[in-house]
Amino acid sequence: MKKIRTMAGGFAAAAVMTMSGFGYAAAQPGDFSTLPVDPNLITDSLAYNAAPPVFNPNGQPGVETVYTHRDGSRTITTTVLVLPDAAAAASALGGASTGLVANGKAQPAAVGSDGTMVTGMSPDGSRSVTVLSFVEGNTATTIEFSGAPKDPAPSDLVLELGRKQDTAIRDWQAA
Amino acid sequence: MRKFGMALAIVAMMSGSVATAQTAYAAQSSHDTSTYTQPAVPVGPQVQPLDCFGTTGGMGCGPGWVWRDGWRGWACYPC
Repeated sequence: MKKIRTMAGGFAAAAVMTMSGFGYAAAQPGDFSTLPVDPNLITDSLAYNAAPPVFNPNGQPGVETVYTHRDGSRTITTTVLVLPDAAAAASALGGASTGLVANGKAQPAAVGSDGTMVTGMSPDGSRSVTVLSFVEGNTATTIEFSGAPKDPAPSDLVLELGRKQDTAIRDWQAA
Repeated sequence: MRKFGMALAIVAMMSGSVATAQTAYAAQSSHDTSTYTQPAVPVGPQVQPLDCFGTTGGMGCGPGWVWRDGWRGWACYPC
């Protein structure tokens, strides 16, 4: 009898830990800190240094993180906005590259929904700029790659990071 | 008798050297020096450049690739 009670207690404790302890480790509503994907996942692992994340950039719910190459010549800025629904996310992406790219060349990108990649120069012509934007559920993501005029971000790197970011958002939404 | 033999050997050795020298000189003098031979002109580089600097490539980068710190950090990039 004592053995049965011990086992019951164990099961109860496991159930409590599963529902509270493990559940707590999942993403909480409004916790966007883990959303941006570190570009070092697809580099030599030390190429970029991350600045502290900026929450709710421009007053919109979400997060923005700037990653700077160790030589200071390249930056990757990831912005993920978490909006009420997919329609709001799609609306937020409208003109995502406006003001970032001058005379940019836009092309579809196979990332998330409405994936678009715009390549060009900064408005003052001093930097090469590539902007990848896409929607995933109720999130709108923009990843901006900025480098020297003759050193634009390779499109394969842009797409690879975009797809990893899309996967991270889906995992975050499912958690 | 021994002295005579030694003298004979020395004479034979000296005469042999002189005869050989004359033969070699004769061979050289028979070469026709009036004909001019055009040296071969290289048609191009004999070594195929393997990277941007024409060497075998840093860090094992293949032809047309160079090792540098770029968007993906330290890696091989197209020239």
